[in-house]
Parts: sequence; C-alpha cells; structure tokens
Amino acid sequence: MIERLLRDATRRQRRSTAIAIGLAMVAALAGVALLALSGWFLTGAALAGAGGVASVRAFNYLLPSAGIRGLAIARTLSRYGERLFGHRAALFALADLRPALFARLAASDPSLSLARSSGDMAARLGSDVDALEDSVVRKVTVPGALAGAVAGLIAASLAGWPAALTLLAGLATMRLSSRMLTARLLAQPRQEHAAALNRLKADYASYAACSGEIAVYGLGTQVIVALEPHTRALDTARGALARGEVMLQGVQLVLAALTVAGVLALADGGAALVALAALAAAATTENWSTLARTDMERLRVRDAITRLESIAMLPARQTDAALPFVGGGIAVTIDGQFHAVPPGGRLLIAGPSGSGKSRLLDTLIGLRGDAPEGLAVDGQDVRALGLAGLRPLFAYAPQDAGLIAGTVADNLRLARPGITEPEMWTALETACLAETVRDLPEGLAQWLGDNGARLSGGQRKRLALARALLADKPWLVLDEPSEGLDPDTERALCQRLSAWLDQTGTGLVLVSHRSGLHALARQVVRLLPVSGGRG
Amino acid sequence: MPPQQSQFAARRTPRPASQVAVLWWLGDTVGAVLFAGCLAAFIASWTAGGLPTQGWCLLAGIGISGMLRAGAQALAGLAGQKAATHAKSALRVRVMTALLPSGQMRGRLIGEDLRVAIDDVEAHEGLIARFQPLRRAAMLSPLIIAAAVAIASWFSALILLATLIPFGAGMALAGLAGKAEADRQFLALSRLSGLFVDRVAALPVILAFGAEDRVTRQIGGAAREVAGRTMQVLRIAFVSSAMLEFFAALSVALVAVYCGFSLLGLLPFPAPEDLSLGEAFFALALAPEFYLGMRRLAAAYHDKQQGQAAERSVANALDQARLLAVQARAVPRNRVCQLRAEGLTIRYADDNCIGPVSACWQGPGLHVVAGPTGAGKSSLLHALIALAPVSAGRIILDDTPVAASALPALTGWAGQRPLLLPGTLADNLRLGGNYLGPQELARLTDASGLTALIAARGEDLTIDPRGSGLSGGERRRIGLVRAIASGRPLLLLDEPTADLDPETAAKVIALLQDTARTRLVIAATHDPALIACAKSRMVMP
Repeated sequence: MIERLLRDATRRQRRSTAIAIGLAMVAALAGVALLALSGWFLTGAALAGAGGVASVRAFNYLLPSAGIRGLAIARTLSRYGERLFGHRAALFALADLRPALFARLAASDPSLSLARSSGDMAARLGSDVDALEDSVVRKVTVPGALAGAVAGLIAASLAGWPAALTLLAGLATMRLSSRMLTARLLAQPRQEHAAALNRLKADYASYAACSGEIAVYGLGTQVIVALEPHTRALDTARGALARGEVMLQGVQLVLAALTVAGVLALADGGAALVALAALAAAATTENWSTLARTDMERLRVRDAITRLESIAMLPARQTDAALPFVGGGIAVTIDGQFHAVPPGGRLLIAGPSGSGKSRLLDTLIGLRGDAPEGLAVDGQDVRALGLAGLRPLFAYAPQDAGLIAGTVADNLRLARPGITEPEMWTALETACLAETVRDLPEGLAQWLGDNGARLSGGQRKRLALARALLADKPWLVLDEPSEGLDPDTERALCQRLSAWLDQTGTGLVLVSHRSGLHALARQVVRLLPVSGGRG
Repeated sequence: MPPQQSQFAARRTPRPASQVAVLWWLGDTVGAVLFAGCLAAFIASWTAGGLPTQGWCLLAGIGISGMLRAGAQALAGLAGQKAATHAKSALRVRVMTALLPSGQMRGRLIGEDLRVAIDDVEAHEGLIARFQPLRRAAMLSPLIIAAAVAIASWFSALILLATLIPFGAGMALAGLAGKAEADRQFLALSRLSGLFVDRVAALPVILAFGAEDRVTRQIGGAAREVAGRTMQVLRIAFVSSAMLEFFAALSVALVAVYCGFSLLGLLPFPAPEDLSLGEAFFALALAPEFYLGMRRLAAAYHDKQQGQAAERSVANALDQARLLAVQARAVPRNRVCQLRAEGLTIRYADDNCIGPVSACWQGPGLHVVAGPTGAGKSSLLHALIALAPVSAGRIILDDTPVAASALPALTGWAGQRPLLLPGTLADNLRLGGNYLGPQELARLTDASGLTALIAARGEDLTIDPRGSGLSGGERRRIGLVRAIASGRPLLLLDEPTADLDPETAAKVIALLQDTARTRLVIAATHDPALIACAKSRMVMP
C-alpha cells in the first residue's frame, strides 16, 4: 500500500526525476571522460614532445585541452543541476505522500488509529517519511553510476577488449559483494540496535516516572547503573554497525584498486591509450562504489516502509452516511441503572480519577468503543452509530485541550467551515478568553505553540471550549474545562456558559471534578472507582 | 556550581581516539600518493617500450595501495566510532544525572526527557565519529597532496594551492548567502515542517470535528510550501558544493593542461621546470585527491547539522535542570519537631497555580492532607521537598525558615509510583538507606502485609523495572516500607492506602500509626479510615 502511495507520488515528479537522471548521467560521463582524456593528452603530449618538433606540430593539442576545460565545467554544472532536480523530485514527492498518508490514517477506524500513542506515532510518521527520501534519490544515483560505467567501459575498450572485460568483471564483483555483504553484515546489528534502543527507552521511561524518589534518596547513579546493560548493548550494536559499514566500503576500495591494476596489466594499444584506460577505470570504480551507500540505505528505507505500511494498511472505517438526527436524547446505563438525558439536558459525570470518565466521553462521541457503560443516542447504541453517526451531534473539548500548532483563528476554524471573525469573538467572550486574545500581540492571528505565544493550561482549555461552542452541534461535551482557573473566572465562566446553553438550547455532557461548574448540571451520574489491586 | 561546568562540552572526548581517526584519514591520503606513484611509473615505463619488466611490482603496488586505503579508511571509521562511543557514554551519564531527579520539577513530559537523554545523545554520533575527524583531516590532506605533487612538479603544486584562494573566497560568500537565505526561511520552515506531526497528534480532535478533509488539504499545501522553501534554501546551499566540484574539476584540468603543454614544450611562458612523463602523470593522478578531503567533509554535513541541533537541545535541558537543582546540603538530624508552610504557592511552567497553602504539622504524629483529585495534594508534598516550583511563601522547620531543598535529605518519600530497580525485593526495600538489619526489615515487611508476596514468590524474588507480577498495591507498599526503612525523621506519603483492599489498608494504617510515634508523618489521602486516625487534617480546596 505504502509502496503504491510512494509510486503515485514519485510519478508526479517524473519530469524533475528525468532531468535529474539525465544530468546525473552527464555528470558521471564528464567525470570519467575528464580523467581519461587528461591521461591520454598527457601521455600523448609526452610522446610527441620526445619525438621532436615535427611530431609536436602534428599533435593536435587544442582540441583535447579545450575538451578538458569543457568537461570540467560540464561536470560541475550537471552535478549542480542533478542535485537540484533530484532534491526537487524527492521533496515534492514526499510532500504529496504526507497528506496521502494522513488521509488514510484519518479515514481508518478511530479505535484502531487512536489506540497507539499519538505523539509516538506522529514522530515516527515524520522521521519515517523523511527516510523514504533516499528511495527517491536512488532513482537518480543508479542511472548516473550506470552511465559512468558505460563511459568507463568504452574508454577501456579503446585499450583492447581484455581491459574492458576486466573492468566489467571488476564492476560486477563490486556490486555482487556489496549486495551480498550488506545483508550479512548489517541486518542483524540493525535489529539488535533497534531492540536495545527500545529496551533502553522503556526502562528509562519507567525510572523517569519516579523522579521524586530518585531526588530524595539520591538514586540517580543507581538508576544509571541499572540502565547500563541496555546502553552497553546499544553501543555494542552501533559498533557492530560501524564495523560492518567500514568493512563494506573497504571491500569496495580493494576491489576498485585490483580492477585498475587488472586493466593496466591487460591494456594494450600504446602508452596513451593505456593511460586513458587506467584513469578511466579509476574514475569509474570510484563513482561505482557510491552504490554501496545506497545498499546500506536500502535497509533503512525498508524498515521505514514496514513501519509506515502498518499505518497505511489500517482498515478504513465504515463511512455510512450520517443518520438523520431526530432530536432524541442520550441514555447512559451504568451497572444496570438507566439514566435518560432529554435533548437540551445537562449531565454531569462524576467519579474518582481512573474510573473511566474520559473513556466514557470518547466512546459517546465515537472516538473509541471500549467504555463498559451502556450508551445510546436516539435509542441506538453508540457503537452501532460509529464516528460518522455521532460526530454531527457532539462538539468536544477534550481534557488535554487538543490544540493544533497554528494561530488562534486556525484553532477555532477547526470547528466547522465558514466561521467568521465576529463569531469567533462571541465564542471567546463566552469562554472568558476574549480579553486574553485581545492582549496577544497579533490577536486572532497569533501563532500558538513552539516559537509563538504560550497560553497557560487553563487558557488552552478555554480556547478548546470556544472552539466547541463554534461547532454548532446539539450537544456540548466538556472534559474538565475549568481546570487551572481561579475561582472568580470559574464563576464567570459558569454564568456565561449557562446563559449560552439556555439561549441556544444546546445539551451538555460535563466531566469536572471542581465544584465550580457543577451548578450547570441538572442530572448527575456517578462512575464507581475501579476496585483496588490493579496489578 | 563552578562556572566551567556551565559550559556544555560534548567534545570532551578522550583525545586519542579522535586524533587516531584524523591520523588514519591522513593515512588514506598516503595510500593515494602510493597509487599515483605506481600508476605514473607504470605509464612512464610503458612509453619506454611495452609492458615494463618491473611492471608486476608496480601493479602489485597499486593493489597494495587499495588495501592500504581500505584499511586506513576502515580504521579511521572505527577510531571515530570509538571516540563517539566514549563521548556518548560520558554525555549520557551527565544528562541522565541531571534529568532523572528533576523531571517532576521541570514539569516536562517523560517523552521529552526521553528524547533528550537517549535520541539527542545518539544524534551526537555522526558529529564526533565523522565530521570532527574529517574536518581536521580536510585541513591537512590538501597540504600533504600538494607536498607530494611538489616533489614531482612544484609548479603543479603551486597551481593546486592557488586554486584554494578563489575557492575559499567563493565558499565564504556562498556560505554567507546560504545562511542568510536559511535564516530568512527558518521560522516559516520550522513552523510548517512540524505541521504534519502536529496534526497527527491532534487527530482525535480533528476526527471529532469532522475536519479531516480540510486538514488534509492544509497539510498538502503546507508540505508543498515546505518543499518549495527548502528548494530556495538548497538552491543557494548547493552553490557551495558546486563550487567545491568546480575547483576539484578545475584543478585537474589546469594540472593536465599545464603538464601537457610543458611536455610539448609549448608553454606560453618560460618553462619553470623540466617535466618527465612520470612526474607529470604523478601530478595529474594526485590532482583529484587535492579536494577529496573537503568533498568528504561536505558529505558529512548532515552529520554536523544533526549533531549540532542535538547539542543545542541537550544544552537547553541541562541548563534548565541546573537552574532548578540548587541542592543545599542539610544538616542531618534525627528529629523534626515542627514543619510549617506559610503561604506556599506553586506555579508550574504552564501557569497552573496551586495555593497559597498554610499549615503547621507538629511532630511526632500522623497528619493528613485531604481534598478532591487535582486540588494539589501531591503538588504540596512535592513543593516541600523542592520538587515543585514554589513561587511564593516559605517553609519553616523547627522555627527556622529553610529552603525546600534542605528537606529532601531529611525525608522518606513514597510517591504514587515507587521506583523499582532490577534486583531482589530486599535490595529494593533498602534503596532509601541501609540502616535496618534483616530482622527489623522482616518485621516491617510483615507489618505492611508484604509477607504474602514473599511467601508466594520466595525470599529472593527478583524485581524488574516495570514491576511485572506485582500489583499496584504491592508496589505502593514497597515504596512505603522503603520510606520507613530509610530511618529519616520526616515521612511524606502520597496516597499510601490507595489500591489496597480494606484488610491490608488497615494493616498499613496501623503501621503508619506506629511509625508516627517517633516521626513526623504527612500523608496525602482520600481514605476516610486513614483520615480518621490522623492527628490533624488539612483540606485542600
């Protein structure tokens, strides 16, 4: 699947790729020809110089010397162009791949896609897509190396077919050895490296969660000692990888030198042509050995593709058209007790932390399906309605705010298409955040997040609330909206929210452990704590 | 803390290993000289008539030069790797020592610390193993090549060296232009390129609002804009490498043309030297090697960028940790008679504010801090031992105001998730200090109800960091016994009876009451049974 997406994306960059390939071939040809011609010219000049004035006159030096300068410039320019177009092809192909991957992820069943740690998955999607760059660039390197090889073979054949055959055999051996040794030398250390890294991260995360005891009892050193087997395994695996890589490159170098020696031994047809063949062989083998690098990268690309495949292959969720909303209420069944909330009703879900309040909300709006409570909307089980059936009904402000990196307005516009600025200000007013946004240097256009303005935890939550208010849905679903608020603001928020609910007739499903907002609720359901001994 | 420690020094590598790498890279240059010498001698004797008699020796020399270069490059790579491994382990210890105890205080997510302590440390590898040795080798290898060429043709060597002048000037200009363009695009690029990762992380909200089509279009637009802007930067950045290529090719062409015309006797100026074919060929074969070191360095540019970005991120994290870790050495004492908090206010980096809290705890005795979840009970306990950022208020210990950083040394701490190190149960119980004999420890484990665990899994049961096979309640009691066994006069306990069945909870409460006879015990709790037997109760709003 991911291979198909990548193929589609690279196909759109056919023109840039073709130009890059052409230029790579020109660059390789020019590189080989530059050295070969120089060797031939030098030797020819020496022979002519030794032959006296007449032979110097007969020696055409203008063409070769102009050729040498021309090739030097051609090599430079084509190399520059190759880099430019090769990177253009790779960058734009990956730029098309990212939204395609995101679309697949977003179209999959949320209970599957959201079950993974989102931050971890996001980071991996970022770096794994970057790793694919090499698979695009390789399309350019391989033809370039081939063109150089052809030029080298032609040059060598001028010194007789044995020299050319020797070069061909040398090039073939270099490829074979690289392909065979890469898997043998690098595959296992790569796996061990990844495994050691995972173990180290898992253990470090468990220890880092206990920073209190580490600080109080001064246990930092002991923790580092406990991590040592993993760090040692990591360093050992890195060392094995480095050894494998230098071994691979060393084999290429030795084979290249032996090939040049072989070409020299078998070349014939006069000193000038021998020199030409020898320098051509040296340039060709050097160029050719860069292919070993792509062999090593291929392993990395393959790992990245395997990981991305697991995302690209997530089954798509059913996209049955949203059911017409007939204005029914919500029904919650907990331990056999049935609570009905009429349309426009206001429900508080209470219970100690860890009792599954957020899970209940996520299940209600279709983001997951594993809450043990019975949940129905309009008399239908929410799990049957699915995300497509549920999201037209609920506007959600999650506990972690769920802001995106972007401007204040970008965040608000997520709620629905076509939101106007006055609507934004009204919503911010209701969420008690208008003043804060007005005070930001760039107001609604203020960038939030990294290298932008930082909102406090409470402010972020109220921005998420304002976004939910803008969504125009029959129910508002709020998870701890007032955490981090001082009592005065909380009171104001409670009043404005209550007025807004009255005015719009919107229903409310609220999770809040703070009593400040409890006045909003007309009904309360209580979740039971999970009984002890969870081990 | 001494000032020199405030400078981040990732390059504190054992000098030898990285210098050995430089030497081996120079060894590779020597191999190139051998190759050129054998090749030139071979061609020169060919002109003297057919395959020369000593030809086989020269061919063998070419083969040997290949092995020499392969060996030198391999050893250079391995020496660089060794230097990097040393540097990484030293850095890892430094970073972990700074980050592990201060995680709570900095209020950072564990994932962020994980990235700094592990991924960023790993990202130093290319910089130390490859870029740094190559940079030093790239300064020396052109000089070695020029010296070798000078033996055969001093004028060719001069030509090679002369190309360095326009090359250096051009590189400086291209570098400046590239940097200016990169700076111009930096903000937009760093914002846009994080967009994809950010939107994947925000997927739940995007799905909930049905915004996936709009966001997909936005990601597509942003990705193409990133590609476009990156190309603008690369267009200029590649000028540097084009310059390198150009001078590499130019130096070959100039040497070839000069030597050729010199051999023909057609130089447009008086011949500076008398060249033989062997000498000329030697100079020509070495000409491509003149810029090779710099081309290798350019190829390691990515290593440098990655490494330097990691250096900055590690330095940031270390600075942050250092600012907070002002540990005052406390005078050890074996009694705490009274601990008071006056207007203690905690303000986290995200502006979440808790307090002001005032309280007075009289020791010895058992006191509780109650209140709903999220009211800040844990934060208050953390603030008392300098693990939460206190913005106002003071702590008074036995009538003397003290810094919060003075208390950890007096405190036995049992948090929500006790630390478990690989080892036996007894090892883990003694992590707080090794003051108790086996019998006393056995009495404590018995009193805390851990005996059943030992009975089921044996005296020497081994423990792994994730506490596999232990229930939440068992883990908590390990932390509790550890805190009591530490022998410290002040015990701060976060929910000591959570996750326990009523019977075990009763046992633990009895143990706490017993302990509170000689020490000051402060517990944050919801448990009515524990609250009922406390000497004082403070409720967080």
